[in-house]
Amino acid sequence: MDELFRQLTAALGQVQGFIYPNEVELQWSILIVVYPYVTGLVAGAFILASLERVFNVKAVRPTYRLSLLTALAFLLVAALPLQLHLGHPERSFEIFFTPNPGSAMAMFGFVYAWYLMAVLLLEIWLEYRPQIVRWAASEPWWPKRLAYRLMTLGVDDVSPEALALDDRVGRAITVIGLPSAVLLHGYVGFIFGSVKANAWWSTPLMPVIFLFSAMASGIAAVLLLYMLLSRLRGEKPDMACLDTIGKYFLTAVILAFSLEMLETIQKIYEAKEHMDILALLVQGRLFYSMVLIQVCLGSLAPIVLLGVVQMIDLPGRARRAIYAVCGILSLVGIFAMRWNVVIGGQFYSKSLLGFTAYKVGLAGREGLLSAVGVLILPFILLAGLLYLLLPWGARKPRE
Amino acid sequence: MSRISRRRLLRNAAGAALGWVAASVARRAGAVERFVRESPWIRAKPYWGYAIDLTKCIGCARCVDACKTENDVMRRPFYFRTWIERYVIRRNGGVEVESPNGGLDAFGRPAEPKTILKTFFVPKMCNHCENSPCIQVCPVGASYKTVDGTVQVDRRYCIGCRYCIQACPYGSRYFNPVTRTADKCTLCYHRITKGLRPACVEVCPTGTRIFGDLSDPGSPVSRFIRENAVQVLRPEMGTRPKLVYKGLDREVR
Amino acid sequence: MTHARHLLRVAALFVLVIAAFLAARHFLVPPSFGKLGHYRAAAVDDLKRLPVRYAGQAGEASCARCHAAQAKLKAGDGHRGILCETCHGALAAHAAAPKTGKAGKPPEDAMRGFCGRCHGRSEARPKGFPQQDLGEHNPGLACTQCHDPHRPKQ
Repeated sequence: MDELFRQLTAALGQVQGFIYPNEVELQWSILIVVYPYVTGLVAGAFILASLERVFNVKAVRPTYRLSLLTALAFLLVAALPLQLHLGHPERSFEIFFTPNPGSAMAMFGFVYAWYLMAVLLLEIWLEYRPQIVRWAASEPWWPKRLAYRLMTLGVDDVSPEALALDDRVGRAITVIGLPSAVLLHGYVGFIFGSVKANAWWSTPLMPVIFLFSAMASGIAAVLLLYMLLSRLRGEKPDMACLDTIGKYFLTAVILAFSLEMLETIQKIYEAKEHMDILALLVQGRLFYSMVLIQVCLGSLAPIVLLGVVQMIDLPGRARRAIYAVCGILSLVGIFAMRWNVVIGGQFYSKSLLGFTAYKVGLAGREGLLSAVGVLILPFILLAGLLYLLLPWGARKPRE
Repeated sequence: MSRISRRRLLRNAAGAALGWVAASVARRAGAVERFVRESPWIRAKPYWGYAIDLTKCIGCARCVDACKTENDVMRRPFYFRTWIERYVIRRNGGVEVESPNGGLDAFGRPAEPKTILKTFFVPKMCNHCENSPCIQVCPVGASYKTVDGTVQVDRRYCIGCRYCIQACPYGSRYFNPVTRTADKCTLCYHRITKGLRPACVEVCPTGTRIFGDLSDPGSPVSRFIRENAVQVLRPEMGTRPKLVYKGLDREVR
Repeated sequence: MTHARHLLRVAALFVLVIAAFLAARHFLVPPSFGKLGHYRAAAVDDLKRLPVRYAGQAGEASCARCHAAQAKLKAGDGHRGILCETCHGALAAHAAAPKTGKAGKPPEDAMRGFCGRCHGRSEARPKGFPQQDLGEHNPGLACTQCHDPHRPKQ
């Protein structure tokens, strides 16, 4: 308690203007920045996967399985930042048992469970099933073999009829999966967009902005992973695949940026009561994270670079370099975007008369180390998933 | 289809259309009444209300102190279920607001008195809104409204997600570090259900704070609302606060 | 439809999970939940059971029973509209058990600060309210040296 008192007193010293006395402490910490970032990656990776499955964009086939596994790795971690943040994580099951139908946050439990079980796990399972059956018979190391046997659910039917059925069901799941992925991340946008008390958050566009920037970040993540893993395997990444992904990447970034700018311009034009304090916010506490990182580095630079790739015929190496750079810029820029929304919205007082401060501690449940740990964990899980369910190898291409 | 039944069909369709138009007209005539919302205290007895007379507040913060004592609200670190703000409006249009430790630390006299246009105190607290956004956003049902109109937090059920604290436009809520749940003014529910008044109302020396049963036209708060022009904070949000003010200056946020 | 055996097993798994969920829900949701609205009705009783610290207006008579002199003085002077507890702090415990429950008196040496909380001159206070500029009005003296707090106007 003394530690808390010290922190709050320090924060009080950094207050500018007037804030309501209870506002000195930020309620949603960096973990709540990480959460939409992670679910955004899930949604984005899944949408990239569904490009091939539902929209028959054959060129991105090489990344299909990787996208699904990436989505799963991040989805498994998605609940962790929330649990670390809650005052009573042991009561979190209440969201499942007595959800308040008026609350967007109450949707979390069901959307998450539905998406995990009915969409992602099923789709991955159906995609891998022929190989799982084969591995269950041929794997020498017994723990791994046991895992595969469990995954077959005791059925080793890989006849053409069964596989045709799998294909139809898989397709149906992906079709349902698209709106489910949209819901999984869109509801997070709605959680912010529906808070009328906070002018920085309140807008009907928020779910859409979140979704398109999620797509950009998900595509960027799979793009980088594909290039990295190809290099580790000593193989060249499929350029047609990369180029197609690059096109969708550019589209997503342009859409996300346009919506954000539309939002900003509208707010400035309408000049409502909160405009003054929000203008000060962007010029002050959010200048580097928003103007510099989110807009210039995270949006404008990738748009220009990827636009150049579309307009000028560049050699493969140059294109790969640009894709890699844009991928990293986008991932950083979209994290900054989440920071600017979540933390930015809490910097200014609801009295519209002042600002508070936020210092991310290093240790503690909601500290920097915790956030970094949550961000690294999915990659460890992904490594495990790749080990268990190798995306590449001899298999028949789908008809 | 024979010609005869087609004619009947057309006639029926025309009759239905005419009937629909007539019904729409009748509905429009009654449309104005639909916007009138019946006050809950017409049916529910008691239904607690609260008023603050800003022409009387002297900023002594006895209410803040009494609330902390009555409800075990921690003094270190600082969280407030009610607090006092002082507004200083200068002749050049500048507005300065402060609330030193919620008003518990003495305000002192405002600087440069010659440049002051007007200055006054504004006590703040939970507005116990009729259309409360904090209840709407609680994911589990830990934030609720009692049958007699007060907004409460169930600290045994709250999971501590802090969505309600974000959703309150008035800054009334805080995160209690001991119970690790959301917390706020309870309108001294444990007192008002025993026939006592909230602690803040009891100790106020100037009669700034007024409390009572809205369903009783003779109660202090009902009389106050009837006899004075009253305002609420942030009416455009549609929260319909039950806390009303008299003498709320346009600069008050 | 033997080729759908694996899908049927998945469906069975789903049914199992949902059944487990419903069972857990039955046991874990508090029994009073939903009776009055979407909340735990027993929470209202939790609230009602919190301890009362201030006796309030209802307790004024009980102060007068032992402290009749001060009560009489107060009733005839400027502080008559103020509770004893406003200056003396929460007294419900003291009224219930006068020998053992503690009572409070504002400390002598902090008198100017204490009385000044209400009566120090401030432009923000309503004009008719009794105020003194404490920097000029007998600085250094405790207020009680000249003013009886129960009969302040004399």
